[in-house]
Amino acid sequence: MAETTYIDAIRRALGEEMDRDEAVFLMGQDIAAFGGAFRACKGLFEKHGRLRVINTPLMESGTVGAALGAALVGKRPVLEMQFADFVSCGFNQIVNNVAKTYYRWEAPVPMVIRLPFGGGAGAGPFHSQSPEAWFAHTPGLCVVAPSTPRDALGMLKAAIRDPNPVIYLEHRFLYRREKEDLPEGDLLTPLGRAHVAREGKHVTILTWSWTLHESLAAAEELAKEGVSVEVVDLRTLSPLDEDTIFTSVRKTSKVLIVHEATITAGFGAELAARVADQCFEWLDGPVRRVAYADRPSPYNKKLEQSLLPGRERITAALRKLARY
Amino acid sequence: MAASKPPQPLSPAPAGTDPRVLRRAHFLMRLSRAWDSRFEAMARVGRIGRWYSAVGNECTTVGTSLALGANDAISTVHRDLGAVLTHYLDPTRLAPGLFEDGDQTEWDALRPPPQALLDQLASQVFGRRGGFTRGVDRSFHYGLIKPEWGIRHVGMISHLGSMIPVAAGLALANLQDGNDRAVLGFIGEGATSQGDFHEALNMAGVMKLPLILVVENNRYAFSTPLSEQYACEKLSDRAPGYGIAGETVDGLDFDAVHAAMNRAVQRARTGEGATLLECMLPRMRGHAEGDGSYELIPPAEREEYLKQDPLVRFEAMLVDRALADVERVKEVTEIARGIIEDAVERAMATEEPLIDEATRPVFAPGEVATAFARQSTEVTGG
Repeated sequence: MAETTYIDAIRRALGEEMDRDEAVFLMGQDIAAFGGAFRACKGLFEKHGRLRVINTPLMESGTVGAALGAALVGKRPVLEMQFADFVSCGFNQIVNNVAKTYYRWEAPVPMVIRLPFGGGAGAGPFHSQSPEAWFAHTPGLCVVAPSTPRDALGMLKAAIRDPNPVIYLEHRFLYRREKEDLPEGDLLTPLGRAHVAREGKHVTILTWSWTLHESLAAAEELAKEGVSVEVVDLRTLSPLDEDTIFTSVRKTSKVLIVHEATITAGFGAELAARVADQCFEWLDGPVRRVAYADRPSPYNKKLEQSLLPGRERITAALRKLARY
Repeated sequence: MAASKPPQPLSPAPAGTDPRVLRRAHFLMRLSRAWDSRFEAMARVGRIGRWYSAVGNECTTVGTSLALGANDAISTVHRDLGAVLTHYLDPTRLAPGLFEDGDQTEWDALRPPPQALLDQLASQVFGRRGGFTRGVDRSFHYGLIKPEWGIRHVGMISHLGSMIPVAAGLALANLQDGNDRAVLGFIGEGATSQGDFHEALNMAGVMKLPLILVVENNRYAFSTPLSEQYACEKLSDRAPGYGIAGETVDGLDFDAVHAAMNRAVQRARTGEGATLLECMLPRMRGHAEGDGSYELIPPAEREEYLKQDPLVRFEAMLVDRALADVERVKEVTEIARGIIEDAVERAMATEEPLIDEATRPVFAPGEVATAFARQSTEVTGG
């Protein structure tokens, strides 16, 4: 057993899958000798060479399109967007070409697009965004956001093996802060399955990625006040594991949705709608959301912190909800 | 190298393309034209909603794609029927009376029965059950990848330019596999203004991809003339900027098109990299039939274009080289017309798609597809 950080887990997944399957290859900016902006690919170029760890020119659309071409003839490309914010330059290829191909002519598109995302680093409006809702809205894309090193490893491996395009959101703030002892072996986390990260009786939190950890801290706080909070780590946003979500909500009868992305038309709105539809008779309070204000992410850390949905805001929302 | 020279032929070989290639090209060009004539007629009377005619493009689409071999790939847009037919069909089985012993190639022997593919293509255009997409996408919006048939075809999405990086990716896979296969992508001149054109050609230059991008420059993108599309003299002038080869040829001159394409294929196969091949074409039809875009072109200019019919020029060349006489030209034309008429008749008699096709899976079978099917909102909502 060795202590593995979240980014080590990503590197391990890439390495193991490249060893396992010759068809797997990596494309991205600065990922070869440099190992990527966050060094997620470090060491893989030296081992697998320039045709499997491909440094691309500064482009996103061209990279996604080329990956589609390669996937159509049997390759399994894994792309790194340098920052999730830049994926907007490849948006058309993802939502119109990659996502629609299987429906249109039944050609599988095995592809993973890794998006280093999220705030907390004072990185400003173009290095802090959480774009999951853009993709969850598009039929044909699987959208995942692991919260722990174990799932970062297991879900990336599962994503690489799936015959469909997977948007893999990896949180930059967790890269070196989250650590876990991981055993050796072929560790897989199923796609499309949520995980109850903390069991509770009075309120359910639905969340993913960085806000899972903030939610767990808030749940700990509420436990001191006698409120038992269940925290569900969605892990996969699309397709959604409704069974796990609805089971939890029907047990606690109250639900708080927490995400880092901006609130309006965020993925929480979809969750709220499905919970309202399928759990109406069980609900004892309003479906509430804690999310980012409808603003770009400001540069100054104090400004950014004032908008991030951290543990204090979650705690406050839980207290209000518990009173219903 | 052998020290002795090979024996010299008694008389020099006739100039131009191999007569076997010309024989095949003639039939394929006529097949493409017969197809358009049939669908144009149906568009005029409202039997089909919309038709994008390839009339005027046949020499370029057939002349380029005939330079490819089995498992070279093509990526097409909406005036590339000639390339699709060339890539898919064994003409010697489709019209045996028009071909001679030795005309069937090794690749032809891999290809499936041509009639079945032609029927599937006709059903595709009508959005019927028997089409490649079984009714969910439009005429040339599909692909067919069958390595066992030597066929690798990726069709278009409506975003013109989006397929250029995809073609580059097909070429990248060849590079990774260490094979010598080439990829031929088609676009119109309008798509050269898109960002994907730049990103894909830059990548092709940097990675020395075995890619040939043919620009079918028919001088108007929908209604936009060249003067409003780009400011360089020739689009192939951009090639040196990407560090790739570039040529502009008369897209109505079969010998020139085919020879330029052969040079490009040679570069692709030998690791020399990509080529931007611009083929100048007359605008013989509007963007879509009956959309009014053709009428916007000044009448005198239109008249000039209509005089430049590639079929007329190609057939005059055949006669000139004594490779065909007027009777032969007529025979090829009639046989092609008959084959298309029959395919279209059969397709029109086929059934509409099953209504369940609308809700067919968006994910290939696996964990994700299973999870998608479990959701309460799947299909009906609520």
